[in-house]
Amino acid sequence: MKKYAYFPGCSLEKMAHSYHMSALETTRALGIELKELEDWNCCGATAYFHVDELLAFTLCARNLAMAEKEKLDLVAPCSGCYKNMFFTREHLKHDADLAEHINEALAEDNLHYAGTSSVRHLIEVFAHDVGFDAIKAKVTKPLKGLRVAPYYGCQILRPRKAKEDVEQPRFFEDLISAIGAEPVDYLLRLSCCSGALIITNRRAALSMVRNLLECAVRSKAAIIATACPLCQVNLECYQKQVNREFGTDLNVPVVYFTQLVGLALGIPPKRLGIGSELVAVMPAIREVLEAEPAVANT
Amino acid sequence: MNATAETSVTATTAPPEDRIPFVEEIKNLLYASKGNPISTCIQCGTCSATCPVASGGFMDNSPRRIIAMIRSGFKEQVLKSNTFWYCASCYQCTVRCPRGIDIAELMYGLKRFTVWRTEHQEGLIGPTFSETFVKMIMRTGRSYEPVLATTYLFTYGLPEMILEAQTATSLMLKGRLPLLPARIKRLENFKRMIRHIIPIGDKE
Amino acid sequence: MNQTKKLLIIDDDPDFVAGMKSILVKANYEVDVAYNPKDGLQALQTKPYDLLLLDIMMGRGAEGIMIARKLGKDPKLRNLPVLIITGIREQMAFLFPGQAVHPHFVAVDELVEKPVEPKLLLEKVEALLKTAEARKGQSK
Repeated sequence: MKKYAYFPGCSLEKMAHSYHMSALETTRALGIELKELEDWNCCGATAYFHVDELLAFTLCARNLAMAEKEKLDLVAPCSGCYKNMFFTREHLKHDADLAEHINEALAEDNLHYAGTSSVRHLIEVFAHDVGFDAIKAKVTKPLKGLRVAPYYGCQILRPRKAKEDVEQPRFFEDLISAIGAEPVDYLLRLSCCSGALIITNRRAALSMVRNLLECAVRSKAAIIATACPLCQVNLECYQKQVNREFGTDLNVPVVYFTQLVGLALGIPPKRLGIGSELVAVMPAIREVLEAEPAVANT
Repeated sequence: MNATAETSVTATTAPPEDRIPFVEEIKNLLYASKGNPISTCIQCGTCSATCPVASGGFMDNSPRRIIAMIRSGFKEQVLKSNTFWYCASCYQCTVRCPRGIDIAELMYGLKRFTVWRTEHQEGLIGPTFSETFVKMIMRTGRSYEPVLATTYLFTYGLPEMILEAQTATSLMLKGRLPLLPARIKRLENFKRMIRHIIPIGDKE
Repeated sequence: MNQTKKLLIIDDDPDFVAGMKSILVKANYEVDVAYNPKDGLQALQTKPYDLLLLDIMMGRGAEGIMIARKLGKDPKLRNLPVLIITGIREQMAFLFPGQAVHPHFVAVDELVEKPVEPKLLLEKVEALLKTAEARKGQSK
């Protein structure tokens, strides 16, 4: 059983608790153990990088050092946390002075960073480490006919980590196909959810959210799937504000990919945190869930 | 800027030929960046076209324009722009720049530059938000949404405020808002760790 | 003994550097400038200096602290006197209210806050050079 150090990040404690629940449920079903990193701290979000990057790297490095102590790779379900910790590791790898400076700070908490654990995004673990075939093999309730908009957002893909294709990724579509659902051509799948602008520039943020939602509606998606708590919250919880600002009538459910995978694995909706959303998910999935299982395998 | 300017070391005592241009200042700010220097920019405008905020018309100066302004030495105007505070860090500009300039990194750099000098445009929520966030993490090690709300609610009119409160209430009812801030266990070690990197401030 | 003393300034603020440099040059010091931490460390490793004037907030953050700590561990450089001239309290006080740092990063160091009076600057430089000289004499 593959085991990872799990870094939930601040959002998953409450605001995105359904992501937390569904991440644990689905990984367990897929034979993966997520061991929550003990006493993890905030990754610094964007704010720390606005003030002092050395300090931001230190916050991330503390988490990395704790994962190393467990001899496990670190998994983050939040794209922001993932990006921060992935690139902190890169900076420390290439800058010995920086690593030494930060290690002196970490010594205050009896920790040492060496760079032995790698940093993964949860969706990467599904798509790459588990693999589509293995997921497909465990599907008991294929989400046949469910049209899903795969919303990548930004920081899973960007900045570029090596030479990978950041313009035409396929892994989210392939994951959706693996659970029997239908990925739609979602034109704005790589566009930004507005991130923290939802707080710092509400007008710009709502207009960006509106574009994303309307694009999903145009591509006839029944539901949007995300892999980041900030994307999910911006797209879902601010729909009312979007409708008020622009006179629209948007009502698009937005879920975490883990919730969809969980449904396909036959896990009851409630255990995946479905029911805690502001735009109800059940109407979009009820028909699919109540469909009779296919009689024969083709 | 300050009353002691004439007797202290400031620009007034400096011979102008000794001063390096603004574009060099920015290059020094980004000395650790792996991207190419902004002097290599060809002003193609890919950054501005790909930026969801600039193309929505929300920035007073587009990223392309900011780079042109830096190179022409419009220091004051650059620092007072809202551009970098309205950057959402989506990195589209960075991955698409044909010259390999890390434009998002430039935006982060400009944020730091203006935070340290408190020279940013007035009335922006971004700097206050970052400040609140940084302080919050230093106190507890983790983020707590209700505290963050205090940074922007004051900018709202009554209808927005009511809508915001409704959203917060719905989230609360769904169990999605924390009632109490979370706190890491080894907080004292954590604080000493921070003080090692920035060794100022009174001991709490 | 009246040899011209060589000073290095590591500071990212060109206006401040220009002012400080003109004062020090007038007082017959030889002054080199590095505007970022990387150039600064390179200068320290390639040329001998009698004193370093060091800023804190540069580049990615509190890089001056990182440089000072690095010098403290370097047997060749730990006896170089360092005058930290910083606006850190003004720059970061909103996050860290209270006293500025009391440096003990290298054998001889002191911290003054920007802006600096020319007279005070020259006094501090002279005093630190003297202290470092005296230490050198003792250890011989």
